[in-house]
Amino acid sequence: MRLVSNLDLLVIGGGPAGLSSAIEAAKNGLTVLVVDEGVSSGGQLVKQTHKFFGNESFFASVRGFEISRRLTEQLNSLDSARIQNESSVVAIYPDGILVHDMRNDHTSLLKPKKIVLATGASERFIQFENNDLPGVYGAGAVQTLMNQFGILPGRSVLMIGSGNIGLIVSYQLLQAGVEVRAILEASNRIGGYQVHADKVRRVGIPILLQHTILRAIGEESVRGAVISKLDERWSPISGTERELVVDTICIAVGLLPSIELAAQAGCEMKYVQELGGYVPLRDEDMRTSIDDIFIAGDAAGIEEATTAMIEGQIAGLAVVSDLTKNSIQERLKYLKDTLRKFRSGPTSSKTRAGLSKLGSKFEEVSFTNGNQNDFTKYTGKMRPLIECFEAIPCNPCETSCPAGAISIGDNINSRPIIDYSKCTGCGICATTCPGLAIFMFRENKDGTCSVGIPYEFLPLPAEGQYVTALGRNGEAICKAKVEKVVKSANKTNLVYISVLREYASDVRHILVPSKESGAMVCRCEEVTVDQVRKAIKEGYTDFEELRRYLRIGMGPCGGRTCRLNTLMILSEETGVPVERLSPGVFRPPSIPVSFKALGEGRVDGYEE
Amino acid sequence: MERIFEHPLISFKRGEIITFFFEGRELSAYTGETIAAALHANGIKDLRYSPIRNRPQGLFCAIGKCSSCLMEVDGKPNVRTCITPVKPGMIVRRQHGRGEISE
Repeated sequence: MRLVSNLDLLVIGGGPAGLSSAIEAAKNGLTVLVVDEGVSSGGQLVKQTHKFFGNESFFASVRGFEISRRLTEQLNSLDSARIQNESSVVAIYPDGILVHDMRNDHTSLLKPKKIVLATGASERFIQFENNDLPGVYGAGAVQTLMNQFGILPGRSVLMIGSGNIGLIVSYQLLQAGVEVRAILEASNRIGGYQVHADKVRRVGIPILLQHTILRAIGEESVRGAVISKLDERWSPISGTERELVVDTICIAVGLLPSIELAAQAGCEMKYVQELGGYVPLRDEDMRTSIDDIFIAGDAAGIEEATTAMIEGQIAGLAVVSDLTKNSIQERLKYLKDTLRKFRSGPTSSKTRAGLSKLGSKFEEVSFTNGNQNDFTKYTGKMRPLIECFEAIPCNPCETSCPAGAISIGDNINSRPIIDYSKCTGCGICATTCPGLAIFMFRENKDGTCSVGIPYEFLPLPAEGQYVTALGRNGEAICKAKVEKVVKSANKTNLVYISVLREYASDVRHILVPSKESGAMVCRCEEVTVDQVRKAIKEGYTDFEELRRYLRIGMGPCGGRTCRLNTLMILSEETGVPVERLSPGVFRPPSIPVSFKALGEGRVDGYEE
Repeated sequence: MERIFEHPLISFKRGEIITFFFEGRELSAYTGETIAAALHANGIKDLRYSPIRNRPQGLFCAIGKCSSCLMEVDGKPNVRTCITPVKPGMIVRRQHGRGEISE
């Protein structure tokens, strides 16, 4: 065992909270070591692919894995800080902290002056029959496999829980090409943000309220699940059981603060349900009941990554204040104010209730409820329609607008207010909005509407291509032609489609027809959809040409089965409506007839 | 299961292809992957049999917290395979029960 003693700060956990505190401390010249169990640092950020809410100085509208990269880079650029991955803290003893380096299986006893515990959280586990079967995962595990390592967790998933994690992971599963059969929610309302719920609904994932899972089916791994409706008292209603064929069950019912080390070290603990379970008592500086031990992030109470980063910075600066004479009080005050504002909205009421039990005080803060009443005054102008109806702490629409047309105001929880007279219709707000809740809109003179849809799926449709326009619940509304595709560096691309005006206020997503299809178009000559599409791309853009090239329609059925299907594919690929395409020539015989019958036939009418 | 090669948001940076052994079978993986991730990519979800009821168990948290993925790696039992990187030639076995140290 090695003994290390010249350390100012030991940070346990290399996630958003831990890295943030380490950066603040190292920036102020302290010697800092971050120990982390993962193969790479960043904690759970490495598998977060969605853009974060929040404000610009805390990476709003940046995707989680990118935040993780930036934080790690920033820390590595500081001389007095070091990250040690694949290492676990086994115990906090009065005479030192025992760290197990798993890479070479040896331990060290560290004697830092201060400790920041940023140990994060673990997955909550719910009870149903066979809940230990392989294929039943915590939502985080699904994200690790899929977003960190690029491995599909399964083919078909049942999601349990409609909080933000359940909603976000469902969307991410679909982005990876996995089917999500349903999201179950025991209560009678969706737990997560409305913008996240809207996102999963419009891609067609059903959210079943007052439903639960009764058991997983399978011997060696999951083959299915039995679900049931719940009554008002959350008891399963007999007779409403249904079986779903899925190979993966994903549990997203919340997180538990990882407080084992804090409790072991002797920090005074309290059970606070609103914060996720047992949490250490701490003051505004994130100092626990033990003077030299600080806590930050989910380990201090379940919240989210932005508040974890702010808490981490506060803890880091509090350590700086203890150990140096650096003047950091102003920054510390700014961070505390930012945190308070961030938590002042309705979506943070649970956090506020929890923190109040730990002695924090919250004043009533006002935030504005934006409105877009003059949207209709600007009919005919390309402009954003902001469908952000819930006060959430987020402002990238305001900070990204080059025309300064959108304002959130002083409180980040306020809803956006847009001044359409200043708006240029550029669409940048729609690509930066983390909730994908901004759509572009223009009424055209020909009775159609152009609708710009933020799109984060593959394949990206081509201009001129026909797609299926989907409504708010993923239902097909009409066929729509793609007018324009605007690619964005942050991968939230904008697809502009043209639909009839009467449909425009319902259309919120698109379904791009699958490009690969071995399905038959012509049964007689066995010609597939792929073959027809390929021929059209090669330049055969007329039914007669396709017939001669592929023999489509030349079989015994005489083209009865395939003619219209071929014309529809032709229309989809060329953008020419079916009624303007030539249907081709109709030639005899219309049904197969033998030469013998023809040879023996007579020309003068019916045979007796 | 299979690996994702085209994704609308992520470009996966994979290491070199290596091989390791699972229950005597030679399987391939990329360096940088954890043992559990590599097994999943090869379609293997049942990683151990539980000590008391002998039930198959697999990955649950994937971040080293739940101990559901304990396996025997190079003769050493109780390895958290969800946070242990796979190495060339590694010998991985399903763990039965609480694990035994083999020489």
